[in-house]
Amino acid sequence: MTEPAQPPATAALEVDHVSRWYGNVVAVNDISFGLGPGVTGLLGPNGAGKSTLLHLMAGLLAPSAGRVLVEGASAWRRPEMYRHVGLVPEREAVHGFLTGLEFARLNARLQGVADPDGAAARAIDTVDLTEAANRPIGTYSKGMRQRAKLAGALVHEPRILLLDEPFNGMDPRQRLHMMTLLRSMAAAGRTILFSSHILEEVERLADSVLVVYAGRLAAAGDFRSIRRLMTDRPHTFTVRSSDDRRLAASLMADASVFGAELVSGHVAIRTAEYDAFTRALPQVARTAGVTLFEVRPTDDSLESVFSYLVRR
Amino acid sequence: MMPLVDVTLRGLLGRRRSILLVLLAGLPVFIALLVRLSGGRPDADRVLDTLVVRTVMPLVALIVGTAAIGSEIDDGTAVYLMIKPIPRWRIASSKIVVAAGLTAVLIVPAVIITGAVLGSRTDTMTTIVGFSVACFVGGSAYAAAFVALSAFTTRALLLGLAYVLIWEGVLSGLLEGTKFLSIRQATLGLAAAFGIDTPGDALSRTVSVVVLVVVLVGAALLTSWKLARFEIRGGD
Repeated sequence: MTEPAQPPATAALEVDHVSRWYGNVVAVNDISFGLGPGVTGLLGPNGAGKSTLLHLMAGLLAPSAGRVLVEGASAWRRPEMYRHVGLVPEREAVHGFLTGLEFARLNARLQGVADPDGAAARAIDTVDLTEAANRPIGTYSKGMRQRAKLAGALVHEPRILLLDEPFNGMDPRQRLHMMTLLRSMAAAGRTILFSSHILEEVERLADSVLVVYAGRLAAAGDFRSIRRLMTDRPHTFTVRSSDDRRLAASLMADASVFGAELVSGHVAIRTAEYDAFTRALPQVARTAGVTLFEVRPTDDSLESVFSYLVRR
Repeated sequence: MMPLVDVTLRGLLGRRRSILLVLLAGLPVFIALLVRLSGGRPDADRVLDTLVVRTVMPLVALIVGTAAIGSEIDDGTAVYLMIKPIPRWRIASSKIVVAAGLTAVLIVPAVIITGAVLGSRTDTMTTIVGFSVACFVGGSAYAAAFVALSAFTTRALLLGLAYVLIWEGVLSGLLEGTKFLSIRQATLGLAAAFGIDTPGDALSRTVSVVVLVVVLVGAALLTSWKLARFEIRGGD
């Protein structure tokens, strides 16, 4: 695991040895990190504890152990912190009888902003929902609901924005629009944390990343270094060829390979250098006069990547 | 407080629930009209006691009270209220005010019309005023109690129904000493204080008022306490 992210000197969000359990089930297990301005991705497979962690930071769950600080004060049972915090929950439920504009206006009024009508109109415009603003949310598509929820979270221009799987249900154009929006908000000094189980989303948007797996923080820090960790871990490939034995012998001479095992019908190759191996394999096969029928990575699922990061 | 009242009211007055509530509240009026048209003239006091205080009022309050915040907690929309810089007691009191107000708006006109249609064997005006005041306060207490119940459990409708049917319907009639734990008995006690003849020994006016005030204030405090510790459901 990389070094846990140290809380910046002025951490907007600080999670300090936080655990949360439900009976015997540990949803979040002794996690610590700190976040400052910028976009941070909370990456992990479904069921990893991402939503629990976000809800703890949003003051919607009490930590079983540890503490969550938002701008230096506890997040739990402190409604006044919501003046500076916006949350987009994962659940789709929004008051279906309200129009998008009414929902934004309701949020603005509940936030006590000076000009709720103006704030609601601006937020609706920001999330590109103007055309559907006067339709009941009950008639919205999933992506439109997400944008309505975001508009509701933006009306008071929060310094901290927490988003739980915000890109769910959005089409590529909407996704791109929201990514641009979040990036510009981060550039303006806001602290943005969004959860996702999709690596590419985090890669495209986040400056830094928190990888959560099975309730534990598997890795935290700069996205590129974690991406490298994910890529340079030991990989296993299944290769079927015209002569598995000769191919295995030839590959063992290559520096990128540290193991080859003949299994019925194929050869299992273990490598620590993903890119070097995938470049070397065709050349080695050609030199050995072996025809490749199938090359398949066997442990490339995100689950196995996360599992590897936790075991390190 | 107004946006909270506004969104709660709009949430409560969905088409199906509105129709159900109007039908339920209109039931005593419908029956009174039916009886009068068929030539009968039962005493309004008995009808208002049996049909409104014992049946329609607690059911209307149950539907309204458990939906005011319970349905928002169940469907996840409550989170949008909880992530606002609003003291939780204001959310609780807004929900109770709306639930109590809506119950009163539905029940009090039903009492007035039913009383006027049937008339009392003693004094119709006393019956109407007495039951209207008693139902206004009693219905509010019921609604507040059911708001509080739904803040604590997802089975508020079932438990509320059990309270009305089993506790109030059976046990508080059998066990004399438990009358003061019954909103119905306190409502009837308040009606009796206006000179209305209620069956059995009614609670005194003072005890009735104390019971109803304790229920209203207690429900508000309990709901506030629970909402201050609101935890979101679901997620991974």
